[in-house]
Amino acid sequence: MTPLEAFCQQVINGLAIGMIYALIALGYTMVYGVIQLINFAHGEVFMMGAFLGLTVFGAFAGGAWQGNSLVLAPMFIAGMAGCGALGVAMERVAYRPLRASPRLAVLITAIGASFILQNLMMFVWGPCDRSFPGFFSGAGLDLGVVRVTAMQGFIIASSVAMMVGLQVFVTRTMTGKALRAASEDMVAARLMGINVDRVISICFFIGSGLGGAGGILYGMYYNTITFHDGYLAGIKAFTAAVLGGIGSLPGAMVGGIVLGMGEGMAAGYLSSEWKNVFTFAVLLVLLLCWPSGVLRKARHE
Amino acid sequence: MLATLACAGAICGQQRSVKIGFVGPLTGDQASIGLDELQAVHLAVDEANRKGDVIPGCRLEVVALDDQHTPAQAVAMAKRLAADRAVIAVIGHVNSSCTLAAAPVYQRARLVQISPSSTNPEISRKGFDTFFRTCATDDIQGPQAAEFAIRKLGARKVCVIDDKTTYGKEIADRFEVRAKELGASVLLHESIVQGEKDFSPLLTRIKALGPDLIFFGGMYPEGALLVRQAKGLGLKAKWLGPDGLYVPAFIDLAKDAAEGVCCTFVGADVSGVDSAREFLNAYTKKYGTIGPFAPHAYDAARIVIDAVRRAGKVDRKAVLEEVRRTNDFPGVLGRMGFDGNGDTTLRLISVFEVRNGRFRYLGPARQ
Repeated sequence: MTPLEAFCQQVINGLAIGMIYALIALGYTMVYGVIQLINFAHGEVFMMGAFLGLTVFGAFAGGAWQGNSLVLAPMFIAGMAGCGALGVAMERVAYRPLRASPRLAVLITAIGASFILQNLMMFVWGPCDRSFPGFFSGAGLDLGVVRVTAMQGFIIASSVAMMVGLQVFVTRTMTGKALRAASEDMVAARLMGINVDRVISICFFIGSGLGGAGGILYGMYYNTITFHDGYLAGIKAFTAAVLGGIGSLPGAMVGGIVLGMGEGMAAGYLSSEWKNVFTFAVLLVLLLCWPSGVLRKARHE
Repeated sequence: MLATLACAGAICGQQRSVKIGFVGPLTGDQASIGLDELQAVHLAVDEANRKGDVIPGCRLEVVALDDQHTPAQAVAMAKRLAADRAVIAVIGHVNSSCTLAAAPVYQRARLVQISPSSTNPEISRKGFDTFFRTCATDDIQGPQAAEFAIRKLGARKVCVIDDKTTYGKEIADRFEVRAKELGASVLLHESIVQGEKDFSPLLTRIKALGPDLIFFGGMYPEGALLVRQAKGLGLKAKWLGPDGLYVPAFIDLAKDAAEGVCCTFVGADVSGVDSAREFLNAYTKKYGTIGPFAPHAYDAARIVIDAVRRAGKVDRKAVLEEVRRTNDFPGVLGRMGFDGNGDTTLRLISVFEVRNGRFRYLGPARQ
């Protein structure tokens, strides 16, 4: 393996995990864009997606579905819809009643929701590492000695598809326009006849659904999931959202990819032991140069 | 009604209960090891109670506490046991870091502690006269793993990974030293962080170095991820690990990537020892699959029970004295006693390899 080939392999490794970070980061950034809340429970929603996917797989496994990748369809549908519904419910129960309260109060509620969800997962699915089924049975594309596994390809392709879909939805549909309007100025949007509560629910539904899809991809990629995995992944995705400019959708995508790549390069070329230290040191510098994120668009007051 | 209750109370009161503490991770990612050991302790205690010959009129009871494999929690649990005067011995803890943190508490309380699975050598060199263990230590396991890797597997170029814990780093460091002594070249020694999931950048770097063997000093959750991701990257090197991988859960999590992975273990192959057959049957009948350290915990509990029987009274100091005197005890792992530091005199390291989804015994690490 030449240094160039090793570099290409590191790029692919970083891209795959970066795409998952980006999917989670979209949930943080969408919610923040509309109600300026850091939804700390989002990491747990992401993990919930992985567990829902695992449960659906368990229900379908065996019989005609044995070894058939088509089982991914019900897994993703259930995981995304389930997480979407969970996000909407969470907003109704925990965040909406506090919308007029100081922002710190909602932040504390979000931390509480995170603990509740984490313990709920431990209660339902147990405290031990759970094995997540592997797909595509180690198939891959060998470009010389550089190897793109089918799983990495699937992560990259499906994430790009979801991001493109989201972009089209936000820029080309009426609901998307309402969403943008609400994030620009909620009061003005309400005066224009936009049902802001509905827009917020939609925003939670989509953000949580994408997080759930990220959770399933994460489970498929690493093949083991635990109830507390959402914490670290959530923190990293949140960082990605801030890096890209919180509130900005393209920012979250770019932030996720940059973070994933940065981690990969730090672990691959410097030290895997200190990779988080290097990664966050780089982020610190980036945020010193662009305090509101790399892609945060300027707002005209 | 009240009279009946009072009577019942009096009858129970006649049978004093003598408590044996067990501490280990009973929740969290290492719960399976803690539960295996706890079940073995229960088995030993139940057998003794059935015979009823320990101390006449007394019943043995197990107090199980969860240290969540964190040292702070381990100390808190140790204090609880030390404060309960009915506790006459402790089996635990599971993890070296926890055992090390809790040992001073037991020392002050003159409470004997036998760990079935804390393999870090430093613990017994700190002068705790209440500490004993039934497993061999990492200063034996690490070097013997290196001897096996180089003499038996013929490895010339090795990479070493550890998980930065007291256990994993110690064993990896000692592996590295011995491997170098035997003439192998160590191409890289890197640490990973426990709880992380993505090790492919490090493995890509290792792939570029082209080792013929990779040694991982750590536990099975990270071990399983490492071997799976290595397989995904097309890394062909042989994997070798310590007893942290010798857990059925490792194969469950690593699936087909576990095939061919070798691991060392601080004891004999129990399934091949006659003295262990009865225990194995009783354990699997009651609890199903057996974990690697269940025999060590079973032997630890039986050594304690035997010491209580010999002491003939419920007294911590007397029990401690009798445990120290243990010599040539017929355990399921073999005949054992303790040296001056509290380490077991049984020091055999065996090697297992995963074949067709099961651990197969390859032989002792040192021939």
